[in-house]
Amino acid sequence: MSSQNWIRIVIALVAGAAVGLIYGWIIDPVEYTDAAPNILRQDYRTDYVLMVAEAYQSEQDPVIAAQRLAILGSEPPAKIAGNAIEYARAQAFPPDEMTLLQGLLTAMQTYQPAGGPNP
Amino acid sequence: MNSQRRNMILPILLALLAGLGLGLAYSWLISPTQYTDASPSILRADFKNQYRAVIAASYASTHDIERARARLALLGDPDPVQALSAQAQQMLAAGEAFDKVRLIAQLASDLQQGVISIPPTSTSPAVVVNTPTQTNQPLGETEIVEATPPPAGAIETPFTFLTPTPRPTQTPIPLPVEPFALVGQDTVCNPDLPAGLLQIMLMDARRRQAAGIEIIVTWNGGEDSLFSGFKPEVGDGYADFLMEPGITYSVRVVEGGTTVPNISIPNCTDSNGQLYPGGILLTFQQP
Repeated sequence: MSSQNWIRIVIALVAGAAVGLIYGWIIDPVEYTDAAPNILRQDYRTDYVLMVAEAYQSEQDPVIAAQRLAILGSEPPAKIAGNAIEYARAQAFPPDEMTLLQGLLTAMQTYQPAGGPNP
Repeated sequence: MNSQRRNMILPILLALLAGLGLGLAYSWLISPTQYTDASPSILRADFKNQYRAVIAASYASTHDIERARARLALLGDPDPVQALSAQAQQMLAAGEAFDKVRLIAQLASDLQQGVISIPPTSTSPAVVVNTPTQTNQPLGETEIVEATPPPAGAIETPFTFLTPTPRPTQTPIPLPVEPFALVGQDTVCNPDLPAGLLQIMLMDARRRQAAGIEIIVTWNGGEDSLFSGFKPEVGDGYADFLMEPGITYSVRVVEGGTTVPNISIPNCTDSNGQLYPGGILLTFQQP
């Protein structure tokens, strides 16, 4: 087989691979159906944290609030609440919602999980 | 020359297919698209349950039913009310605390009935006085919402009642508990129903079905606790219990209700004159 033919085969291989990648990444990418909340888009994450803050306002239970925040990832609850406040500030959330988020952040900053380091 | 070209078509086609296969394998298996901006609709089932629970807890605090509805829509459930009800039943079956379950059942009930209600508490129900906190709100627009006659479990308000701006603060004002009284005790003879089915229907003072009310069924050597509203497909104030032959039960609605004694499986007669075990329907209502 001549070198010209080998070049044609390689070009065909590359073209096939390119089509496969485009199809697999863009046209019909893998669909996730059992995702974890840590990959939620930032606005959804922030709304989730806001829900936790709204519930915390009436429940006043930092343990439950921390447990609810924990599904968003392995970061400390205060960090999760802080990130939400940053996003909410950038998106100009209403002052009452900022107050709720700030209240949750304060609670999470002082929250010590059971079994944590003893003073 | 032509035959040489024809001979090359097959290897090129094979190379194209092999490349396609490699590309697909890489993009689907080895390095699939990484989701970093996912929506709640693709969450795993247990995370969706957690999400719903937080929506219900938030709703219990804000009473913003439209926002709760919008948040539930993010989960992509075909029927959010059914999803909430199913989750409440699963939680109850798993022995989770009723306080958690009640929030979810209450949200399901409110969404189905289209009213904003306050979950009944073990102490007393409450009305909500909404006082906008913004200073530019005219005093004349301060809203005091109180149901007439005073409800024990729910306060019906139009959806436009709570608008996002200004958001009201809530001050609970206790009301006296209205006990549920037995207003009907009927034998149900329906061979299509399970034998010995004890059906309980709870109505509030406005004759609307009352969800989230605890009912205690006791018998010699045993006791069980039921809650209304976990079968919204039957009714928000509905609960049921399967009686066993030869056992006499007592039924009591926890929210100030009196005990209904001597409940047992009645005998019914079918069209051929044969006896079969029937059921009982108890209807309770607040005065």
